[in-house]
Parts: sequence; C-alpha cells; structure tokens
Amino acid sequence: MEPVIETFESRKKHMCVKGEGLSIPVCDKASMPGTVTQRTCVYGGARIVLMPITDSIHLVHGPIGCAACTWDIRGSKSSREDLYKKGCSTDLQEKDIIFGGEKKLFETVLELNRLFNPGAIFVYATCVAGVIGDDIKAVCKKAQKITGCRVIPVQSEGFQDHNKTKGHWIGGDALLDYVIGTREPEKTTPFDINIVGEFNVAGDLWGIKPLLEEMGVNIISTMSGDSHVEEIAQAHRAKLNIVQCQKSSNYVAQKMKKKYGMPFLKVNFFGLDQTVNSLREIADFFDDEEMIQCTEKIIEKGLDEVQDKIQDYKERLTGKKVALYVGGNKAWSLVRAFEELGMDVMMSGTKNGIREDYERIKETVRDGTIIVDDANSTELVRLLKKYQPDLLISGAKEKYISLKLGIPFCDFNHDRISAFAGFKGFVSFAKEVDASVSSPVFNLTSTSLYDISNNLNSEKNLKTEKSSDEALSPPSGGDKHES
Amino acid sequence: MSGINVIEKERTLIVNPLKTCQPLGAMYAVMGVHHGLPMVHGSQGCSTFVRYNFARHFREPAEIAVSSLHEDAAVFGGRKNINAGIKNLALRFKPDLIGAITTCSSEIIGDDVFGFVDTTKKELKEMSQEVKGLDKIEVIPIPTPSFVGNHFTGYDIGVKSLVDALAEPGEPTEKVNLIPGMVNPGDIREIKHILALLGIEGLLLTDTSDPFDSPLRPSVTPTEPYFPKGGTSVDEIRDSANSQGTIALCKYAGSGANSLEKKYDVPAIIESPPIGLQNTDQFLRNLKKLTDCEIPDSILDERGMLVDLIADNAARYLFDRKVAIYGDPDMTTGMARFVGELGMEPTMVCTGANSKTFAPDMEKISKETGCDIDVLFEQDMRSFEVYVKENPVDLMIGPSDGRLLAQNLGIPLIRVGFPVYDRIGYHRHPIVGYNGAARLMELITNSVLEKYYEPSHWKLQQ
Repeated sequence: MEPVIETFESRKKHMCVKGEGLSIPVCDKASMPGTVTQRTCVYGGARIVLMPITDSIHLVHGPIGCAACTWDIRGSKSSREDLYKKGCSTDLQEKDIIFGGEKKLFETVLELNRLFNPGAIFVYATCVAGVIGDDIKAVCKKAQKITGCRVIPVQSEGFQDHNKTKGHWIGGDALLDYVIGTREPEKTTPFDINIVGEFNVAGDLWGIKPLLEEMGVNIISTMSGDSHVEEIAQAHRAKLNIVQCQKSSNYVAQKMKKKYGMPFLKVNFFGLDQTVNSLREIADFFDDEEMIQCTEKIIEKGLDEVQDKIQDYKERLTGKKVALYVGGNKAWSLVRAFEELGMDVMMSGTKNGIREDYERIKETVRDGTIIVDDANSTELVRLLKKYQPDLLISGAKEKYISLKLGIPFCDFNHDRISAFAGFKGFVSFAKEVDASVSSPVFNLTSTSLYDISNNLNSEKNLKTEKSSDEALSPPSGGDKHES
Repeated sequence: MSGINVIEKERTLIVNPLKTCQPLGAMYAVMGVHHGLPMVHGSQGCSTFVRYNFARHFREPAEIAVSSLHEDAAVFGGRKNINAGIKNLALRFKPDLIGAITTCSSEIIGDDVFGFVDTTKKELKEMSQEVKGLDKIEVIPIPTPSFVGNHFTGYDIGVKSLVDALAEPGEPTEKVNLIPGMVNPGDIREIKHILALLGIEGLLLTDTSDPFDSPLRPSVTPTEPYFPKGGTSVDEIRDSANSQGTIALCKYAGSGANSLEKKYDVPAIIESPPIGLQNTDQFLRNLKKLTDCEIPDSILDERGMLVDLIADNAARYLFDRKVAIYGDPDMTTGMARFVGELGMEPTMVCTGANSKTFAPDMEKISKETGCDIDVLFEQDMRSFEVYVKENPVDLMIGPSDGRLLAQNLGIPLIRVGFPVYDRIGYHRHPIVGYNGAARLMELITNSVLEKYYEPSHWKLQQ
C-alpha cells in the first residue's frame, strides 16, 4: 500500500485511509523527539479542563513560563466572575528548586485567598514541582484547613505522559476527588442533569442551555464552562450526565457512573442533525410525554429559524473539501455538521487521539478519508500540499502554516470568537466557514500570482523557455528533502 | 526636586505576570538565524505554548521542535531524547543551525546538554557519509533554566551563545553588529532603513524581521520543510568577530556585545533602544562614533519631521498628561523618556524584570523630565492595577495584557511591547527611530483626542 505521504519510517503507520485495510492509525505513542509537534503537555491538558470554572483561582506551582504562556489561553466566556482569567504563579526561583517550594506555595495560597476570596484555589503541579518532589497534596490540605477555602491539588506534572488526554483525566480526578459530592443541592427535580465536557468556548454553552431549559430540564452544573465550584459540588445528585466533549470528559462521566450510578449520554450540539438527535435522546431518556412534545416543538422551531439563513452559505460551500486537524472530540463531532453544509470531509486527525477516538472517527467518516495521528508541522504541510483541501479546521499554531500555503483556515479551538453550538450556533458556524472558504483573498494568491508574475516577466520567460514550475521554484532551501 | 520612588512587591506570588521564561527569549533569538531552528529540550508544553504565543503576536508560523521529555527521562536523564531529537530535526529539515535550548526540567535533572551536543555532532558527522550536509549543521547549546531570569535574559543568553560558539576572527570588515533586542520586524526594518541612509552595513544578531513577517506567496513560500525567508546567516554570525563594533539596542541584553569585545576587541556599546527622539539621536551618535560616517540630510529631515509633528500637537493635546507604562525593561525605559519628550508625565513605570540598572535609568529620566516617577520593580499586572486604581492616569502604555483593566477603568491603552494580540499590524510597524517615534506620537495623540476631546468641538480642527 502506498504511504499517505512521505515521512519517517516510524511515522508511516500513524496515517491511513479509511477502507484500505488499516483504518485506524497507530496512535497514543510518544512523539518523535525533534519534531515540531502540535501537542502540548499534561499540565496544559488539565488546565484547559478546569480553567473555565469562573469563580476559582488557578494557581500554577512552577517557574513563571508555565503560567505566563497559558494565562487566559481559553476563549471560555463567563456570565459572572472573571477570577478564572487571572494568571497566578508561585514563580519558583533557583533557591526554591534547591530548598523546595512547599513553603512558598503555602504562603501563596494564603495570600490568594486573602486577596480574592475565591470559590476554590486549584493548584497545578508542573514538571518542576514534580522533579523537586513538592508534596502539593499536603500543602493544599493544610492551606484548606487554615483558609476554609477549597484548595484542590491537580497532579499535572507536564512530562507525565506524551498525551495531554492524561491531563484531562487528572483535571477530572481533581473534581471527582475533591469537589463532586461535597455539597447537597437545596432542591432537586426529576429532570436534573449535568453538562459535562462543555467549556463555553466563545459562548457555546449559551447556545445549548436555553434549549435544555425550555425542554424542562434542570441543569445542576456544567463541567466546566461558565460554572461555579459549589455547583459542581452538587453534581452527584443529577439524574443524568450529558457529555459534549467526549474526548476530555467521558472519563468523568464513566467515573460518576461507577461511583454514583449516574447514567450518561454522549451528545453533540455541533450541526443540525446532531443537535436534534441529542435533544431527542435526552427527552427519551426522561421518558416524559410533556417533555417529548415540547422537545419536538423546540426542534421544529429551531430548524425553521436556521434553514433560510444558511441557504446562501450552503450554495457556496457545496462540494468543498475540508480537512480537520484538531485536539480531539471535534475530529468526529464536526463531520456531520460539514456534510450538512454540502462539504466533504476528506481528512480528519487529532493530536492526542487514543484508540477509542480513532474508532469514533472511523465510524463517522466515509471511505477514502485520510485519518492522521499526531501529525507534526512538516507532515501537516505535506498533507495539505498533496491533498489541497479548500479548508483546514485547526488551532492557532496551525493557522499560519495553512494560510502560508494559500489554504483557507477556520479556527475551531480556544481562539474561536463565534459560538457554534446549537441551532443558532450552526448559523454562525456556516457563516464563519463560508467567510473563510469564500474569502476573495484566495483568488488572489496562487493562480493569480502565477499569472501576474508571468505577465510581468513574459518576455523574459519566453527567452529563457523555462517551464513555469521551474521559473517559480523556490530560490534556495526548497530542494531540501528528507531522506 | 524630582525623583523616583521604588515600590517593591510585597507578595511572594505573581498575579498576571509581566514576564515569561528564559527559553522563550532564546527561541526568539534562534529564530532570527537564517534556516535556524530552536530545539527545546523539555516537555511538549515548553515548545507548544511558546509557539502559540508567537503565533498570536506575529500571526506567523513558528517552527520550534521539542525533545518531548517524559517521566522516564526525569529518572534516567534526557540524553536519548535530545540526541534523537537533534538527529531527527537534522534529517528532516537540514537546517543551517539548531539551538539546543534547555528548560527548567532538563536543567534540574542535570542533563549535560553541552556534552550531549558534542556526542550528537560526532554522530551527525558519521551520518553525513550517507546523508550529505549533516556535518555542516551547527548545533549550539543554549542553557536557559526558567527558574532563573526571564524571557529577556533568555534572549540575552541566546544571542551570547550564538556569538560565543560561532564568531571567528578573520579579516576586519566595515560592518557594525547590532543586537536588536526582543523587538518586532517593523523595528528591525527601521534600524536597517537608518543604516541604509547612513551607508553602513549592519550585521544583526539576530534578524527576526523576515522570519516573523514573511509574505504569502504560495508559489514561493511553502518550501518544504517550511523555512521563512530571511534571518542572519551562520556565516554572518561568524563574521561578527571582525566588525567595527557592536551596538546592543537593548540595555538588558548586551552580553553578546561584551563577549565580542572581550574576545575579539570589537568595541561594545550597550544602550537603551532608540525609542523616542533623544534615544535615536544617541543611536546615531554611537554609529558615528564607531564608523565616522556622515549624517545625511535625509535623516536630519526625518528627525525634523518628527520635531515638526511634536511641535504641532504635543503642547496642545499631550502636555502634563499622566502616563502609566508597563512591560519589558528596555521598552518601558524608552517609552518613559519619549513621553517625557512629548511633555507628558511618566508617573509610573512597572516592569516584571529584576535588572539592577532599571531604577538608576528611571532616576535619570525623572531628573531629565522633572517628573516624580513611581517605579514598580519586579512586579506584576496586579500591582499595576492596584496602583492605577489609586493613582489615576490619563493613558496606559504596554502589551495587550492590560486591555481588560484599561477597558474597566476607561483609560486609553496604547499597545506596545510583547505580546500584542488584540490589534493587528502592531508588529509590522516600528516604535524605534524617528519614524517609530512619529508613529507612536500619532497613536498616542489620536487616542487622547478620541478619549478626551469632544468630536463636535470645532477647535479640534486646527
């Protein structure tokens, strides 16, 4: 079988085509040292799961860089506090490395509590905290006793694993071990749920929440978008967990099922069909006639409002090819949404996929789709150049690589500024995708530039009789290929 | 009698940092080398988050490789990772130079990166029998533990490591070495513009202008692997030992210049960056001192246009307005002096760094401008916020991280420094030189007009 693209021997099996025997790439392996990996560390994984808890302080126990570079990294919105947006660090210095940072951490927690009186203080262990062996659990316990504030250790040393998924689990563990089940709700209803794995990036939650409330569902907590820690503390009394980002949060739902017998549904509010299915599944779960009827009305109204608004986008987008290269969940959860716009997902990949994730991708995409695992920047360039999609969906690090190649790009990561979830979100989604794909700038890049340069240099070109490829080949460095 | 009042931090913790770690600065220095790649010896986050930060500030790709340290490396050392990492990077990219940048974790576990690099270089030599050119790749160890210093000192160590490893004495040249500091492509281009007008050949250590602002030309740019155009070549860095002199345009990152002076007698001048009129004057005087060049009318005209602009507007709109400045030490000292030149008062200057010369620098500016300056030293944005709430100012100058505070307090924010991610175009335009000063003057005045003057007032039109 022909390899998907030229790459290192050990990387070949990380890419495959659905339907050609190997339909699930080799995955969940350490990245090759020396590649420009798109992955991040375990600390990063834990932080993005917990950071959207708005009334809490997120304290990074380590040198300054870990906090400074991830401060306010998430585009999670809040309807209440903005404490979660603060970048807090113990700023470990050389002497702390030698003598240990526990004392400094303890004092820092006390100070933070005094300054901000937060709902909770999450203390993240970084590589350094791990290597010097600071016992952050003990410090948190002591500090909690003195302050009366929840002080929660997050054991997220960056180098623990090659896969930030482990960070997601560690973030989940912090909630499971120290928050969930520590407070009883004042009132309960038969229709209490938690929304798990919804981080309110760009306000996604606010596209989902009104639909659920209209159905008659009572949301006890969201984990963790736009949430307060005391709400999550009551989560154990819900009747159902619905899981939006299954990549980061199946773990929490499964553990809650085991511990509290709480069932969970995997939902997906990206795309119309998926939104409709998810709403119906929730209504079916509660099996309440009134709720089922109400849900059908919400669906009818929701679809009605959307259809007219997306027609123009759909016309322009039909037949266009999309490549997905994302952090996790979106590698499968977005596929149908693009298909509803008439687009064709020809590649899907993730940076931190585990086998379960690739099974989901394989189930969702059609035959012939390229599935890639942990593609580094060189591989990404080769994939984009070879398969020439009309759109890449990814995050900020990949954005400018894509654009440099003249390939339209749409952010579906922390830096996104429009909410895409639910019915209304789908319209924003269509609009933003269209804005990227149909931007006139891309008519002005490759072809036109060739034309311009040929026109400007036409006489010279005729004289030298060079083929256009040769004439325009890179001046230097372009012929460097991997061996 | 004017003076400064140094306010030191009373807390141990940092809330909303005004600095980041050493490796970031070292990566920035290495990315100014033509076909130069940083190879970070640490966890994946150490490269990923920096790439994210560069991407959002410059809106450009940033190719930074990582040795991907995991738990076993913490126990057994990271020798295997960095060795394999450099070899893989060499095979894949065939760069001209690899900067092997250490991080906190690799430093704490005691990895001898200098030794590892030596071994790896030998292996690359052996491999070059099969794959041509591998032995030509320069691999430079850059020790930047992040529990020491900040991104500025990291940049300093980066430049110094490159110079120390590469500079070679040879035939003297007419060139002038310049260490630009952690500035933007627009700044470096302005420096080049000044040199061109003077007829001086500059040698930048290093030149991040093209790598962080490169054209979108699909027919030419997507060379494979992706290397942005430009940067200072390895040969040029070698040649830095033979220049007429070195000017560090950053007072806080000049050890590369000192090193060249000590080893090769290349005179070193280490000054504040040429932000504002007098600092640019000083820059030109320094160039003249080194090269004995003529100052052409074209530059005097640029200076004259700046003075004209200031004379037209400063007294009317800017005089006596209070400004609070925050950010890197070089930028803040430069900006403080410049706003003083405009007749404004730099009432407070806040930096996250801990350089010893910062307070004396501010003392000088205080005397010069006749303003009392509160100097917040080794501080964070939280201290800045508390201060500004108690001591109102008319204007804030600093990176995007102050945007929410500016919005909440209704104080105009002039975005200057690193990172600026919520406005476009910042990195493309200079803040240095007479042109940079003119642009800053325009930004400042227009913000003041927008905020403090009624649009319907006819007198504004004059």
